[in-house]
Amino acid sequence: MAELLDFFQLALVKATPLIFAALAGVICERSGILNIALEGGLTVGAFTGAAVSFETGNPLLGLIAGMLAGALLCGLLGVAATRFGVDQIVAGIGLNMLAAGATAFAVVVLFGAPGATPEVHALGSAGETALIAVAVVAALALQLGFDRTPWGLRLRACGENPQAVLSAGLDPRRIRVLATLAGGAIAGLGGVFLSLGELDLYSDGMTAGRGFIALAAVIFGRWTPLGAAGAALAFGALSALQFVLQRSGVPSELMQALPYLAALAALTGIVGKARAPAADGVSL
Amino acid sequence: MARAYHTGVTTRALALASVVFLAACTNGGGTGKAASGAHQLRLAMVTDTGGLGDKSFNDSAYRGLQMAKSKFDAEIAVQESKSAADYQPNLTVLADGDYDEIFAIGFLMNNDLTEVAKNYPDKHFAIIDAVNPQPNVASVTFREQDGSFLAGALAAMVTKTKTIGFLGGIDSPLLRKFEVGYAAGAREIDPNVKVVVKYVGSFEDVASGKELADVMYGGGADIVYIAAGKSGLGAIDEMRARPNAYAIGVDSNQDALVPGKILTSMVKHVDVAVFKIASEVHAGKYPSGSVQLGLKEDGVGLTDFAYTKALIGAAHIARLAALREAIVAGKIVPPSTRDELAAFTPVKL
Repeated sequence: MAELLDFFQLALVKATPLIFAALAGVICERSGILNIALEGGLTVGAFTGAAVSFETGNPLLGLIAGMLAGALLCGLLGVAATRFGVDQIVAGIGLNMLAAGATAFAVVVLFGAPGATPEVHALGSAGETALIAVAVVAALALQLGFDRTPWGLRLRACGENPQAVLSAGLDPRRIRVLATLAGGAIAGLGGVFLSLGELDLYSDGMTAGRGFIALAAVIFGRWTPLGAAGAALAFGALSALQFVLQRSGVPSELMQALPYLAALAALTGIVGKARAPAADGVSL
Repeated sequence: MARAYHTGVTTRALALASVVFLAACTNGGGTGKAASGAHQLRLAMVTDTGGLGDKSFNDSAYRGLQMAKSKFDAEIAVQESKSAADYQPNLTVLADGDYDEIFAIGFLMNNDLTEVAKNYPDKHFAIIDAVNPQPNVASVTFREQDGSFLAGALAAMVTKTKTIGFLGGIDSPLLRKFEVGYAAGAREIDPNVKVVVKYVGSFEDVASGKELADVMYGGGADIVYIAAGKSGLGAIDEMRARPNAYAIGVDSNQDALVPGKILTSMVKHVDVAVFKIASEVHAGKYPSGSVQLGLKEDGVGLTDFAYTKALIGAAHIARLAALREAIVAGKIVPPSTRDELAAFTPVKL
């Protein structure tokens, strides 16, 4: 029984950064921005959180700064895609590289040694638990917001038919930029969870592809907040299972590939119909 | 386009270089420009994906370069690899530069090094942790199983829960030398000690390293041997927060990271190996062929227990010294593969 409890706890911890990143992905994609810079959002969030906590000694300031950094990075994608007509995939790849390079460089400049920051004041296990709860509540709140508020309707319309939004007298480009800012802040929070929630440092490469698994969770969750969060939870449980079951016969590489296989299965319609927002990835 | 141009140049360079090489051989070989006193020694290295700051393997290699910098006033350069796709470009960039010796740090780039070494036959390379047959490559491997055997013996002596762990980075033949050496050392001391083995699947996923350490310590292991690059930093983080949990560090001396809780580190003297090659290059000799460094050559070994002497106790430390002697003398041959581990029977000194 205690072991089962431990397993669920581990699964939740594994899932939380994925949930944040997946929710960020849903917000952006439902507005029509295919945000593959989620990995970069996690990276700058994790780094900025740790760096600001180091400088100020206050992990809460680090949390806020990490969210701002994520918003800034993904906001760049929103601006590039709406004001300059840049291909969203190309811009996203560029931003991921920028995030990895800039944080690695900043670690050297700020801390004098490459690779990782020193230990910083972190949020502690209470903060970690609080962030896990925030992730779950955020998924519920976003689902309600999507379904029940005018804001949600406008956002969804933006991703399906931006021309209709325009003829209703609203600026779809502005809505998309706002969506990337909000999504980016949430992705940044996912990064903060890694550096200040679970750990107490930033280390190059620590996001380890979680932003891409989140993209798979968005697809498997059919572009809904609860669906994506559920998929992220399932993927988290899967990696927790992989940790526990290692070397019991199932190759761990196969289990690491399962999220992507699941996304593929969702896309090809093997497990029901998955349809992306009609204007997802279409620059204005 | 660039590629075609490149190939043309290298073919010609190859032809030219083979003539020069033959001439050099008949000359007694190895009178490179490094021999001249006025020439400044220029050394470069390509890190593995763990990168600088891993407080472990790559940092150890970098220390070797820094030693050469201070001793020979060498100019040093580092290319960091963010992914396996960076190995070949990084090696090529350095080969295009004017370096006397280029160090490839890590077995994962062995195939890429073969390509680059063939394309630049007049350049000199060295690789750590792999054997490369190219004539212009010096290969250094370590008998990690020797030092890991001592680490496992120590863990089996000190454990109170009769359960110890091994946390590796990526499951591979190299990491298995650590794993099976450790398991064999534990078996040598007490066959009833259970050894739990886990791999992170990455050398830089710090959070997963921490979670796996949580699983292992939570599952009853009180000592975990952590050989996982930066992922290991997360595992050490988890260990620090737990009472009665201890770790054994790897590659670099990590004892001071959490004084008193890291029993020892299985140090791999990558720094010494890198510096030794640099010294030979400085003396005008370009090493080639392969060497294997074990306990006997001081290529691997445990640290001096600076913070943990009292915890471990003099009797255990003396017993470790005896085991070390037995390995150096060849009386104990630690296994290096899982098959060899299955066949390993304790010698019982």
